[in-house]
Amino acid sequence: MTAAYRPGPDAGVTRSDDGRSVYVARLPGGPLVVLEGVAALIWGEATSAPATGWVARVAELFEQPEDAIEDDVKAFVAELGARGLLVAAALEPGPED
Amino acid sequence: MAAHEATETRGAGATVPLEVRIGFAHACLQWIADRCGADLLHIKGAALDPTLVPGRGFSDADVLARPEHVRMLLDELRHHGWELINSFAYGSSFEHSATLRHSDFGLLDLHRIYPGTGPTPDRAFEALWAERTTTVLGGVDCTVPSRDAQALLLLLHAARAGSDPKAANDVEWVWTTVDDAQRIRILEWVDRLDAGLAFSVITGTLDDHRDDPAYDLWRVAARGGTRVDEWRARVRAAQGLRAKLAVASRSMLVNVEHLTIVRGRPVSRREVAAEFFGRPVRGVREQVARRARGIHRGDP
Repeated sequence: MTAAYRPGPDAGVTRSDDGRSVYVARLPGGPLVVLEGVAALIWGEATSAPATGWVARVAELFEQPEDAIEDDVKAFVAELGARGLLVAAALEPGPED
Repeated sequence: MAAHEATETRGAGATVPLEVRIGFAHACLQWIADRCGADLLHIKGAALDPTLVPGRGFSDADVLARPEHVRMLLDELRHHGWELINSFAYGSSFEHSATLRHSDFGLLDLHRIYPGTGPTPDRAFEALWAERTTTVLGGVDCTVPSRDAQALLLLLHAARAGSDPKAANDVEWVWTTVDDAQRIRILEWVDRLDAGLAFSVITGTLDDHRDDPAYDLWRVAARGGTRVDEWRARVRAAQGLRAKLAVASRSMLVNVEHLTIVRGRPVSRREVAAEFFGRPVRGVREQVARRARGIHRGDP
């Protein structure tokens, strides 16, 4: 079982001990990006297996309908992708979004 | 959604714990080394096996590079946002490391030598490299020495740390309280790294090595001394007349790069001149003060 996304090949990732923050660095020159709150949760679900239903899991965490948050979540993931911090994982079934 | 870039210069926005920045410094170095074909080992600090000294803090990243790869690494680092603060000749009495700084990842000490190891820097590195393992730092697999080798490296660092309480705690955890089996494994690394002189500081037998050219370096590092003592020890430890003269002449030069960092701005000719004349004077003053207190230990 794989996740929908994984860190980019030139990204380093560290999570805070309390799990509330995710630190992502573009290697080798930076920048260093801090994901907090909603951003950290989206990162967590996007990079956790299974790929199927990951947006629904985010929606469930925030007690929101999936279709109400889907566009924002996609836009955020696209921004991380544009920075080279997140890439779509090579999947068997493919991510649902 | 809260996503912030965190750099030293931005100030506002998210803060990043120092240990996180340092972890990424290690990750950055490994990324660069992997791509330019350099061999390096991440040592001490974040890279230290956490079972050796639990809860040990750190403030920068340390890496030891294969000596022949140091120049290539320095060039690569400068291309990726690392600024040289202190070059090797001015780093310490042992002239072992250069210090660099990155706006996102903090401070880095790039070692070309690990003080106390030998018989040559190349052979010492090769011995450590042959038994390397990996640990994850900043999300990247980083190469580190074996656990037992790490224990010795920590002790050799403590050997030149004088009365630093952190070093004393390291010795307590890594040597004083360990069992015989662990001590034997460490002593095996002492032999493999030709580290008998430096390790004698830990066992309290340094004075058995008075005839060693590097004895004074370790005596001053372990027990303290004036700047004059320090430079005298550096000259004695340098091998060959040319090397001795080079060290002696450096004692009179001014590290403009370092002065710039200290001042926080480009230095003027007047300030360089003031530093040039100030350093020998400071050395003399310390020497005079020590003689006056009757605690001078520089001469036999």
